Order: sequence, then C-alpha cells, then structure tokens
Amino acid sequence: MSASAASAITLLALAACTPGHDAAAPAAGGAPAAAQVLRRAVDAGGMRSIDPSISTDVPAAHVLDDLFEGLTRLGQDGEPAPGVAERWETSADGRVWTFHLRAARWSNGAAVQAGDFVYAWRRTVDPRTASDYAEALAPVRNALAIAEGRMDVTALGISAPDERTVRIELTAPTPFLLSLLTKSYAYPQYEPALRAHGDDWVRPEFMVNNGAFRLLEYVIGGRVTLVKNDDYWDAAHVRLQRVVYLPLDRAAQTERFFAGDLDFTESFSAEQTAWLRSRLGAQVVSAPYLGNFVLGVNVTRPPFAGNRALRMALTLAVDRETLVRYVRQGLYQPAWTPTPPLPGYRSPVPAWAALPEAARHALARRYYARAGYNAQHPLHVELRYPTDSDNRRTYEAVAAMWRTNLGVVAEPYNEEFRVQLNERHLKQLALFHYAWIGDYPDPLTFLQLFQTGFGYNDGGYSNPRYDALLAAAGSEADATRRLAELSQAEAILNEDVACIPLYYYATRHLIRSYVRGWTSNIQDRNLSQYMYLLRSQAH
Amino acid sequence: MRRTRPGALVAAALLALIVAAALLVPALSPYDYATPVWTKIFSGPSVSGGHLFGTDSLGRDLLVRVMWGCRISLLVGIAASLISVVIGVCWGALAGYAGGRLDGVLMRTVDVLYAVPFIPFVIVLEVAFGRNFLMVFIAIGAVSWLDIARIVRGQTLAICEQEYIEAARALGVRTTTMIRRHVLPNLIGLVAAYATLAIPGVILFEALLSFLGLGVHPPLASLGSLVAEGANEMQANPYLLIIPAAFLATIILCLNRLGDALRDALDPRHEEDGHG
Amino acid sequence: MLRFLLQRLLTAIPTLLVIATLAFVLLHLAPGGPFDSDKVLVPQIQHAIESRYHLDEPLWRQYLRYLGELARGDFGPSFQYRNTSVNELIAQGLPVDAAIGSAALLLALLLGGATGLVAATRPGSWRDQLPMGLAVLGISIPVFVTAPLLILVFAMRLHWLPSGDWVAGSWRHLLLPALALALPYTAYIARIVRAAAIEALGQPYIRTARAKGLPTHVIVLRHALRPTLMPLVSFLGPALAGVLTGSIVVEQVFGLPGIGRLFVTGALNRDYTVVTGVTVLYGALIIGFNLLVDLCYAWLDPRVRART
Repeated sequence: MSASAASAITLLALAACTPGHDAAAPAAGGAPAAAQVLRRAVDAGGMRSIDPSISTDVPAAHVLDDLFEGLTRLGQDGEPAPGVAERWETSADGRVWTFHLRAARWSNGAAVQAGDFVYAWRRTVDPRTASDYAEALAPVRNALAIAEGRMDVTALGISAPDERTVRIELTAPTPFLLSLLTKSYAYPQYEPALRAHGDDWVRPEFMVNNGAFRLLEYVIGGRVTLVKNDDYWDAAHVRLQRVVYLPLDRAAQTERFFAGDLDFTESFSAEQTAWLRSRLGAQVVSAPYLGNFVLGVNVTRPPFAGNRALRMALTLAVDRETLVRYVRQGLYQPAWTPTPPLPGYRSPVPAWAALPEAARHALARRYYARAGYNAQHPLHVELRYPTDSDNRRTYEAVAAMWRTNLGVVAEPYNEEFRVQLNERHLKQLALFHYAWIGDYPDPLTFLQLFQTGFGYNDGGYSNPRYDALLAAAGSEADATRRLAELSQAEAILNEDVACIPLYYYATRHLIRSYVRGWTSNIQDRNLSQYMYLLRSQAH
Repeated sequence: MRRTRPGALVAAALLALIVAAALLVPALSPYDYATPVWTKIFSGPSVSGGHLFGTDSLGRDLLVRVMWGCRISLLVGIAASLISVVIGVCWGALAGYAGGRLDGVLMRTVDVLYAVPFIPFVIVLEVAFGRNFLMVFIAIGAVSWLDIARIVRGQTLAICEQEYIEAARALGVRTTTMIRRHVLPNLIGLVAAYATLAIPGVILFEALLSFLGLGVHPPLASLGSLVAEGANEMQANPYLLIIPAAFLATIILCLNRLGDALRDALDPRHEEDGHG
Repeated sequence: MLRFLLQRLLTAIPTLLVIATLAFVLLHLAPGGPFDSDKVLVPQIQHAIESRYHLDEPLWRQYLRYLGELARGDFGPSFQYRNTSVNELIAQGLPVDAAIGSAALLLALLLGGATGLVAATRPGSWRDQLPMGLAVLGISIPVFVTAPLLILVFAMRLHWLPSGDWVAGSWRHLLLPALALALPYTAYIARIVRAAAIEALGQPYIRTARAKGLPTHVIVLRHALRPTLMPLVSFLGPALAGVLTGSIVVEQVFGLPGIGRLFVTGALNRDYTVVTGVTVLYGALIIGFNLLVDLCYAWLDPRVRART
C-alpha cells in the first residue's frame, strides 16, 4: 500500500474519532439545551413511502429508524442491541431463534405483541403487498416460496407461541440475523390501524408506531416532522423533543448548513472536502461506509467475454490512489476487491496492488497487447453511469486514465438511473456503474452479486468453484470458517477479474459541534433517539 | 427605417470577439478540455500560473472549457433557431399565402400549441428520446417556432395584398413558385431579426436543461453545464460560477441587442419594445 | 362576450386532449419503466405491482383508461409515491407555486412598473439609463444563477432570510424564491412600461397638462398610467405561463415542495401519471391565463370589446 493511501486512511481514522461519542456524559460545553429540536437533512429524491413493508430508499430508512423499532435496534455504537426483544436464545444449529419481548407499547397505548411481528412479516412477503423487500427476508423459512406465490403466507417461519415470544425459523445459520432485525422490513406493524385505514395508515393522523418518535407532519417531497413518543419504552433516555427531516440535494445541504438552518447533513460533495475542513474543522465528519464503488464488467458479451487479459489490463490501468486522493480528496479508501473492510474478514487483495505505478502500467500494457489491442486498433468502450455530479468526475477520471495509460478510447456516457438499471438487468451493457451499499455488515451481501443466477448479477459472471464456496459458507455454522470460505471465494473473483473495484465509500456529514450522541458507524445509521443538543450554542 | 442604435454595433463587435475566441482559443491553447491534471485541481485564476481563468474540479483549464462551452451553446442556439425558423417560415408563409380554410387550420394548430407548456415538454422529450446531443436542439427547435410562424403569416398577408403578387397570381404562377420567388425574399430581413432574437432564448433553454442535468454529455460542456457545475462550487471557488455566467450573460445580452436593432430596422410594424 | 367565452372554452378541450396525448405517448416511448429498481423483483411480485397499476394491459387500453379518468378530473395514482394519488400531490404542491408565482409577479409589477415610469420621465438621463441597463442584465442572467447568488448573499453571508424550505404563510420563506423568479420579469416589465409611458407622455393632452403646470408625478400617475397598462396586460399572459413553469428551477434551488420538482423527479422516475397529470394541469392553467388576459384586454380597450 502506498504512502498516499496510508495517509488517507489515517485521515479517516482521525475523523472517526472526532467528537460526538460521549452521549452519556455531556462534554465541557455544558448542559443540554432547553429547546431540543434537531434539523436533519436527507438526500433528495427519496422518501417515496414510509410504509415499512414498502419503503426501500435510504432517506425513508432514517425516518423509519426513528418511528419504529424491531426485535433489535441499532445501538449507539452501531451494533445491534436489544429492542422490543429484551433477550433471545438460539438453537444449537443456529436455525431457530426465540425472542422474548419486553413490555413495549404502541403510540396509542396498546401493548406490542408477538403477533404484531408475525403480521408485519407476513405482510412483507405476501405477493399482494408487492413489496420490493420480500426477498430481504429470504433467510426466513419459506419466505421466497411465499413471495413467489407457491405457498401460503401462514407457512412463513415466524410464529408467536405466546403474546411475548417470537420464534423464527431460518433456512440456514444466519450470523447477521440480529442486524437484519433492525431493518424496516422486520418491524412490527399494528394490524388494526392497517385494517381501518388501508394504505393511508402511514399518514400522520392515522399512523400507529412503536419507535422513539411519532409522525407529526409529512410533506411529500418536503419536510417530515417527528415529535418525541412518550409511549416509547425507553422514552426516559430520549432527549430530543422534535426532529425535522429535510430532503435536499447535496449542494443545498451544505448551503443550509452554512446559513445555520441545519444541524446534521446527510452528505456533502467530496470535491469540497478540503475547503469544508478549512472552514468547519471538526464539524466535517467522515468514516468508512459499508459500500463499494465498482465498475461492472459484462463477461457474457464482447469485448470482455472470454478475454480475461483485457479485463486485467483495464483494472491494472486504474490509478486508485490518484483517484481517491485527487478526485475524492482523500475521503474514500482505494479498493482492489469488492468487499469493504469488515471485522474478522481477511480481504484477499491481489498481489499486483502492491506494484509501483510504472510497473503496474507496464503490466497493464502487456495484458492489453495480449488481449489483441494496440495504438492502431484501440479498444472503444462506452462507460455508462447514472446522472450525478459525484459519479461524473470519477468516470471522467477513469476514462482519462485508460486513455493515457493504455490508449483506450473510453467515452463516459450518463443516463438516467432507471434506464441504466433496465439495460443492466438485460445485460446490454459491457461496462457499467455497479456501486453497491451492503444490506448488512457481512461479505455475503457483496459476494452474492457474482453468484450464478442471482437476480442482481448483471455482469453474468458464473464460476462453479465460486458458487460451491458460497454454498459451503451458507451452511457453515462456525463463524470463522465461514468468513475464511467467503474470503477464498472473493479471491476467485479477483483472479477472474469479475469486476473493476475503484474505492470503498465513506460516510460524509456536516454535524454542528453542539450535536451530541451520534457515532460514526459502517451502516451510517444514526438514530435520533440517541442525539441531543448542548445548550451552549444551540439555536 | 429607424436610426440604428450605437449599442448594436458594440454588441456585434463583442459577439464577433467571443466567436473568434471560441474558435481560436481551444486550437491555440496548450491545454485540453477533457484531460484531468491531478496536481492543478481548483487552482484559482492567475496570469502567472498559466491558467487565466483557473482550473476546474479535475484540474482542467477553465478558459478552454468556457470557450468550448461558448461553441456548444452558440451551436445549439443557432441550430435550434434555424430549425424553428424553417418550420415557422414554411408554416406561416403557407398559411398567409393560402388563406381560407388552410389558413384557419394551420393557425388554429398554432393556437393549440401555444397552450403547450414548453419547459415540461422539452424535459419529457429529453427523457423519452435519450440524452442525445442532437435531440437537445431538435426538441427546442421543434417547440419554439410558433412566434415566427405568426409573424411570417402577418407579413405574408401584407405582401400578398400588393399588386405585383395579384398580377402574378392572375398569370397563373404556381403556388410554390410564388412563395419561393416573391414571398420569401421579402421576408428575409424580418426573419433574420427574429431568428437573432430566438437564439438567446434557445441558449438559455439549453442552459436550463443542463442545469437540471439533461444537457450535453461530459467531458463536453455547454455554458449552461459549466454554470450548473459552478453553482455547486459557488462558495469555495466562486470563479467557477462567475466566469461562465458572465460569458453566458454577455452572449445573451449582445444577441438581444443585435436582434432588437435588426427588428427596429427591418420590421416596420413593430412598436418599440412592444413585448419581450 | 358570452359567445366569445364559450368559444374559447370549447377550443380548450381539443387543446388539452392534444397535450394529454402527447405527454402519454412520449412518456410511454421512453426507455425504462416506473418499477425498474435497484432490486430485481421476483416475477410474481413484478406482475403484482404491474397489474395494480394496469401496466400489464395493452397500451391502447391504458390510454383509454387514462383519458376516461382525466375526463372525471382524476389524474390517477402516483407510481413513485406509493399510496398517494396525483391529485393529492398536486393539491399539496400547487399552493406553493401559487404563492411564489403571485408574489413574484406582484414584485415584478411593482418594481418593474415603478422603474419604468421613473425612467420614462427623463429619457436619456442617468435615471433612465442606469435602471434600464440593469434591466437588460436582468433579462440576460438566468434564474439558476441569480437564485444561488441570492442564497449566498442573503442567507449564508448576511443571515437575514432562510436559505430555503417552505413554511406555509411565512413571508420570510417566500421572499428569496419570489425575488429570484421575479427578476427577469421585473426587467421586461420595466422596459415595456418605459416604452409605453414615453409614448403616452408625448401625447398632446399630456403636453397640455404640463403646460398647465401640473407636477410630473401627478401627470404620470393620473394620465400616463392607463395607456401603459395595455401592452403590460398582453405581456401578462406569457409571463404567467413563464412564472408557472419557471418555478421548476426555483423549487430545485430552494428545495421547495412544489409541482415543478414533482414533475422533474416524476419524469426521471417514469412516474407516468405524475408527468401527464402535471403537464395537463400546466396546459389548462396556461389556457386559463390567456383567456383571462384576453378578457382584461377587452375590458381595457373599447375597440377589442366591440369586436368580440
């Protein structure tokens, strides 16, 4: 690893250690402010629905994190912690879990019962609900069969032996189950509210929820206001009285922060990192994020089909340190493999990553020549990417690197996300935007993308050895051995150059120094219930 | 004929200067509009640094990029105006010359199209036909010919009332020949004036599309996309907004001035500043 | 008069039909569908979603269904915002645009009118040339440049006004967006008023008034104002339409929940019903504005009144 990459990582590590961790003990700044109103931005274009069974976008997920609570909730440290369930046990083979509920209440005062979970999960996998997330519950027994209409919803592997016990049966040991349970599709839902109001149950006047806040106002495409829920079981520890969510695009978030109209932004433009740090200091917060920026390669059609040499040449010719340092201003970490760093997981970085730049370029040119291309017959390739100024700079830079290092004629071409997704799924694109945000902190969420027949395998990669290793890991009860098998599988991906990883994402927030109680975490989920404002500077 | 405004000469000279610069600077400059220069990202405008206008987020020379932006914007403006002029003149001349039922149908169509909300329509067109560079001006050109059609029709009516046309008609000259030989030549000055006035509108329209992310593809840039990019960097690097915005404003201003002067000189019916 | 009104209203129907059809056809020609998402759906679920929105029917059936619903004033359910109808979205967004649009037009009329009148009293002096120079500039700088600059100055540097967001009934949240939208129209109006006022002030009866020794502001307000209204009214039709669709940019920059932003995200997400609904609404409003302007014109000008 070169010096520049190392310094980038140090920066990230430093940023992760900046203030905000000490929720329990207010820092020297003084006592909590009297008016506890947090103004949070979320990225614009989301918030399509706040129905937990239906919502899929990140902005809505933040709001839902505040409105609902599953069997587990995301703890302040970013790890799953007891939520509605106060304790649980698991069977020896890891396939049956039993959760014991605490005395939690809905926002209308009714008790949260085991049946509310059963109802909600059945609703999510029911084909009639048409939930995009039915497949997310795939680890639960029969979930997929029900979603495909082959079984009745009552066959789902979740049951309520009594009012305070939830029993979950899984198809395979699922080490990340506790993390899955914190997600929106695993929340309980209050059946009487849904029965009475149908699809309208998510409106402020009808919603019954069990989280730390309740819904006061919901303007479509605009502001969402939450107020503290006094019926929440842990309400004693919730200090914010009100949370205002504002969907804004990236530039507007920064502007509003400077205007003093926001306390917590969702993102800022990577290009402005250095300038923002010079102006805002420690209020600029960044930490590793569970996502990768990868170029997808279609191995089923020319020019990449059966041409590993060409794929090798292209991946070797990308100067990742340069990209991260100059285009992303040191915000992200360079990536040589699809899976971002995860605790306990050994990332199989290919040997060529350590080569000095000149040697790597020379190697790239050798592969390029072996693939049958040269200055007279250069490779012509279109780089399709979804419209976004952040993406644009990266793609322009990669195209320029291929041009200068190999002589490739690469044209960046932006198009709308919807169009591109369609073309990707139909495997019409040779090279495409394949960035991925993990659903749960486990390598599987990234490695699945290259499994034969997997729904999102848009590059058409298929290798029996790879599939066998994933299958072996799937039924492996021992966590260490499982991770080792996944690591072996990932090494095969690198060997075959199944994709071109560029960098791993980082979270990027502007957070006022008087906001406390947040923690940088790899899933970038910050529950408002842990946050509060110090009196000294609050608005 | 009215007096020509002195402002029009200045505008014409300024415009000529910008066009010349847009053609020459990219050819003569040592910098490329597309290739990133990692060590020069966001260097501000300076004479000694070699970048008169500074560099952008990928270290590319802003002067060259702005000049390319002028090329693209002017190209889009002229091409789209030509399209709208061709459609508008044909439509209007035919309506004015033919008169009667055909005139009624043609002009009623124009009335209907006047109610079409243009910005939304061009957005839908852009989305529907992919983000093809050609589509940008075809879309704009296809929706902005209405004014010209109306004006041309009025002029044609006036021309047709003149005696030599009636004489020619009486001699049995064919309609198309009539329009081509007698009507169109009389319209040229007027059409030139309105075409000049249409260009700035089109340029602004393209800039708006670029701002909404529906314009040209990178690494190419139009003034609109440069302004949109600069607006995001407005605080940290204001020159990225101000310089392309100044060029955009100057071009629009000059074209408006020039068009106004041409119209005043060539359109006898036009009242001073009747409407925008 | 009544016949004129009826005639205009009748021609509005085919116009709206054309607009609705154009929007429908174009959108369905566009690649990508409303439910192509990040997540690849199980075919059964994909089918369930499509039949819920009748997307599995042949296109002509969808078209007829759409026209039928349109005739009843129903724009259908939104595709991107689940559980929400387009009518609700419009009902929520339109008041925002109405508030900003009318505030902008009012600002433009007041500022532009005053500037134009002042300039007309002394053509050629600095009181004429300075504001008219500014007006030309105002026409030449697009809204998406002035809007961020207004935020930069008044919200970020001076902290006088909020940088965006929408609070119904709050003039502080209204002012910057309305100003940004008003600037080009202010410039146009100033030019129109100036030209008309200069012409009016050259009329013999004004010279008589001057000879009687009436002060300038009295002459301007009492005698020159009415004739300047005529060209202004004919400008208002396009201006109303422009303010309406121009708010797309202002909404984007200030992050306002109006229908313009709804339209753009709808077009990008293939939200067929939102796009067609908003387009038809825009068309109807433009027709309404033009009619209103014609009525005003008829009322102001006796010659036109006689003809209709």
